[in-house]
Amino acid sequence: MTRSLAFMSFRYAAILLAIAIVLVPVLWMASMAFKPIEEWQATGADLTWIPRAPTLDNFRYIFGRSTSDLIVTLDKTALKPILASFLSAGIGTILAMTAGTSAAYGLSRFGSGANLPLALVQLRLFPPMAVMTPVMIMWAFLSFTDSWWGLALVYGIVTLPFAFWLMKTFFDDMPKEIEEAALVEGCSRGRVFLKITLPMMRAPLASAALFVFILNWSDYLIALLLTTKQWVTIPVYMASLSSSMTGQLYGAKAALGLIAAVPPVVLGVLIQRHLVRGLTFGALKQ
Amino acid sequence: MKDESAKLGFRLTLPAQVLVLFISVFPLLMQLYISLTDWSPLSGQSWTQAWTMWNTFANYSDVIHDSRLWAALGRTALIMAVCVPVEFLLGLGLATLFMDDFPGKRVAYSILIMPMMVVPAVAGYMFYMLFQSGGPVNDILSRLLGHPVTLAWLSDPRLALVAVMTADIWQWTPLMFLILLAGLVGVPDDQIKAATLLGAGPVHRFITIVLPRMKAIIGIALAIRVIECFKIFDTLFIMTGGGPGVATETISVYIYKIATQDLIWGYVAAIALVILIVLSIACVWALKRMAK
Repeated sequence: MTRSLAFMSFRYAAILLAIAIVLVPVLWMASMAFKPIEEWQATGADLTWIPRAPTLDNFRYIFGRSTSDLIVTLDKTALKPILASFLSAGIGTILAMTAGTSAAYGLSRFGSGANLPLALVQLRLFPPMAVMTPVMIMWAFLSFTDSWWGLALVYGIVTLPFAFWLMKTFFDDMPKEIEEAALVEGCSRGRVFLKITLPMMRAPLASAALFVFILNWSDYLIALLLTTKQWVTIPVYMASLSSSMTGQLYGAKAALGLIAAVPPVVLGVLIQRHLVRGLTFGALKQ
Repeated sequence: MKDESAKLGFRLTLPAQVLVLFISVFPLLMQLYISLTDWSPLSGQSWTQAWTMWNTFANYSDVIHDSRLWAALGRTALIMAVCVPVEFLLGLGLATLFMDDFPGKRVAYSILIMPMMVVPAVAGYMFYMLFQSGGPVNDILSRLLGHPVTLAWLSDPRLALVAVMTADIWQWTPLMFLILLAGLVGVPDDQIKAATLLGAGPVHRFITIVLPRMKAIIGIALAIRVIECFKIFDTLFIMTGGGPGVATETISVYIYKIATQDLIWGYVAAIALVILIVLSIACVWALKRMAK
């Protein structure tokens, strides 16, 4: 089908405009991350889109090497929150994937747990704020509050629906002949799952795990409610980066925001093929 | 053989069942109990002793008369009513531009879906910076209009609402685009070609052939966004904290505030339960309709 020149130019114009709108906020933050303190709040004619005197001071600052320009010293550096984010999101992902994958296989092959699909969608439906107060009470009772494992446990449950649904559609799509052949050979059902199915599903498992990790990494509200000091995650730490003396530490926050934004964007490109499936609970495949 | 399968299936689904039970049944019962009392974490007693502050249904009648709650609900509905249709139309428009191949398609696609990968709290911070009165948004507007614009986006009640909606539209239009494009690509080519041969114009083809085949997908996309939009918290809270005053206070922000600042957890539990019940009914109703 040949398209008219008018349509082609309209298409490129529209797409370029959309790309510009997508990029402006990201580029502004990236530029802010490299701006020295004098340029943070420059306005009017002084407002610059590209830093006049680019510097790495903001990055040095959040990692604890205080620079003379930034008067306030930080209570803590960004290292621990970055570790907290990785640990809680990582362990939460492992938990969700383990429970989700085995349940998905159980349902897909043996029809067990027929209540799970609906129950898990419902879990996703509720605003976290409406179910978090009992969790906060329980976590305080178990002294899970402000710990990476307490956070990881909640993350594992919150993202379980995604892990389950994604893996269920992958298992449903998988040809059953190989499993059946192994069964005829005398393998037990459990061995088939562990030794044949799982290794075969390595790629889908990895995509699902990355998808779940992005979701866990993106959380703000749950960490805000369940961590206070020791194990705050990057978004919570970032929001706390302002003081009565200096106001908002624009550049330092932007530097941290840039660090937080990199992993999901990179992982997201890696699993692009499966994004639609993941986001629609497997209702739609690409 | 059958027995072995059933046993294995049970064992495999057990962890997920335990987790679901753990996060739904126990908290639900606890919330039901606390919602009938005046208990607060500041009361000095553990929640098990909440019965000493029994107030029967006082919390629930408070919910009915809580004008701040209803205003927050109305605001959430307003954000939903603006953002979801705008995201849908923009996403659909963009998706139609991506239906056939053109040079640079893959790169453009990768860039356009980036916003939804950005951590919402970070996106909130981006837009917090953009909407400062001396910030880039006013700078761009000044250049376009030719005279200095100094709108105080985040401290004006109406503009603040516009700002948080803009952030939501920026972040979630790509989701609509992604899902709708997957749907558009799935529409069989031969039907479109047949219609073209019969002389149907592109708009006519779109309305009579493409849209009806996309019904289910459009339904899914809208449902996902409506559900997520109802929960809206991260971006908005970072940008405005629900302010100025209560100008951008949504349902999640309101519950967050009364739970962490006023600490009236008996009342929080009552609100939460009412929301859970209403949402469950809506969910069952929607699923029944979809099944038809």
